[in-house]
Amino acid sequence: MFNLLSLIFRYFFILIIYAFIFGIIRMIYLDIKAISEVSVSNTPYLKLINRKDSLPFKIKEVYTLDDTITMGRNKDNDIVIVDPYVSNHHAKIILDENFYFLEDFDSANGTYLNGDKLMDAIKLRNGDRIKLGQVEFLFVSND
Amino acid sequence: MFKKLFSYRVPQNLMVIMNSMAVLLLYLYKDRLDRFVLISGILLIFIIYMSNFILLKVSKGDHYIFLIISMLVSIGIIMIYRINPIYGFRQIIWFSLGILNFFLFYFLVRSIKHWNKWLTFYVVLSLVLFLSTLIFGVRIKGATNWIRIYGYSFQPAEIIKVLFVFFLASYFTGFRKIKPVIFHGIVYAYLGFLFLQRDLGTAMLFYFVFTTISYIYEENRKLILYNLSGAFIMAGLSYLLVNHVQIRVQTWINPWIYIDSKGYQITQSLFAIASGGFFGTGIGLGHPEYIPEVHTDFIFSAICEEMGIFGGIAVIMLFLIFVYRGFKIALQQNNKFFRIIAIGITAMFGFQAFIILGGVMKVIPLTGVTLPFVSYGGSSLVSSFAALGILQVASEELEWEQEENHGFRIQKDS
Repeated sequence: MFNLLSLIFRYFFILIIYAFIFGIIRMIYLDIKAISEVSVSNTPYLKLINRKDSLPFKIKEVYTLDDTITMGRNKDNDIVIVDPYVSNHHAKIILDENFYFLEDFDSANGTYLNGDKLMDAIKLRNGDRIKLGQVEFLFVSND
Repeated sequence: MFKKLFSYRVPQNLMVIMNSMAVLLLYLYKDRLDRFVLISGILLIFIIYMSNFILLKVSKGDHYIFLIISMLVSIGIIMIYRINPIYGFRQIIWFSLGILNFFLFYFLVRSIKHWNKWLTFYVVLSLVLFLSTLIFGVRIKGATNWIRIYGYSFQPAEIIKVLFVFFLASYFTGFRKIKPVIFHGIVYAYLGFLFLQRDLGTAMLFYFVFTTISYIYEENRKLILYNLSGAFIMAGLSYLLVNHVQIRVQTWINPWIYIDSKGYQITQSLFAIASGGFFGTGIGLGHPEYIPEVHTDFIFSAICEEMGIFGGIAVIMLFLIFVYRGFKIALQQNNKFFRIIAIGITAMFGFQAFIILGGVMKVIPLTGVTLPFVSYGGSSLVSSFAALGILQVASEELEWEQEENHGFRIQKDS
């Protein structure tokens, strides 16, 4: 009885262990794929201009803009930038009928678009440079 | 429901199925119908499932490393239980203590800042442990590396391993400047103490980890070259002068002429690996008990015999994925101290697995270290889980890091 069971089970053991390894590798693969997929998608995105390792806080290279987003130092923003020169609720990018507008929330140090301080909401075009605090983004869209 | 239970998409469930099958099998083993197996088996499954579940809730970091390690531990416990039920049950207890230690170190390391400023503390603590091993040490199986307290023996070298990685990390983070000469003196003192204890495997392991980290972070590249040539000289000298080393090399080059004496262990291991074939003899149907020390250092031969070469390859693959995840964690970590810690701990486990797997397969000379997470051994398992907890911290974003560097100029919102 035991011998028979053991002889059958040895195949199952190996099958299960390999399925387990396969499962883990698949999860890791999906993890990596999710990171690389962001940059090839068609939606407009913000690209970091600063060298990532020159900034002393956590920031991503690319942020996709599929909806209206807020930026700031507070945790409830969509893009959290823990830069001391960035206000808690600093700026907002509004999606309105397929156009993107940049608006400043009366931040202490201001938001700059192509070097000029932002006063009013302004429509974003491909190649615009957005600066807040020490961080500078490039706005990239396909139109 | 049924399909989800067996799917490779939920690796936790696969682990539960495997463990339940093993419990059933061990229950029927030798017609003993041992209730004890059922209780300890269910306990084991519960611990593994619960700890994975808690970790998912608590940690935002990497969740794969703990899964991989639980799989390795379950394979190990199944094999140990089959070899000797008493050891198997003790291993389950050690495993639960290990998990407690994992969470303890996880919260401890996460909540305390400035780990990189305690360089002196790490060195002094290791020195105390080394000296107490030399004074109170008990000689077990050729190496004087055990301390016995109230009937429980433990290996201080397992704790020193973690301290060594912390020491290297705090040196290369460079908070407190100590001269390279003093630094190298301390490193070689570590190796010298291990050599005095005749713990050659661990000495080799420390040297590998030291070389890996200094290869990445040492700015004076010539030092690496000097260290490497120093290692060759030391290896040559120890071969000529130490009898212990000579035996190991002789049994590595040709164990067959010493099959009745000093080559017995390694030849039995080779027989066991060979007799397994592709799928193994089946659990409980092989004869791993012919190998001396099969439950600690030679557990891999037993796995190869009873679960086959495919089982053996699976163990090696699990270690490979683990090392890959460890390097990935190191690459993503921003804090330099924890980056070095991640590399150090990963390299420690990777090299340790390499040394003993290579040893039992007669690829490199055999030196006695445990196969991390698989072999029987309380101090090894518990301290390995502590190191794993620290690695888990390194896989997360550290929130206090930014405030520390820039706290003085955070602006107030008007």
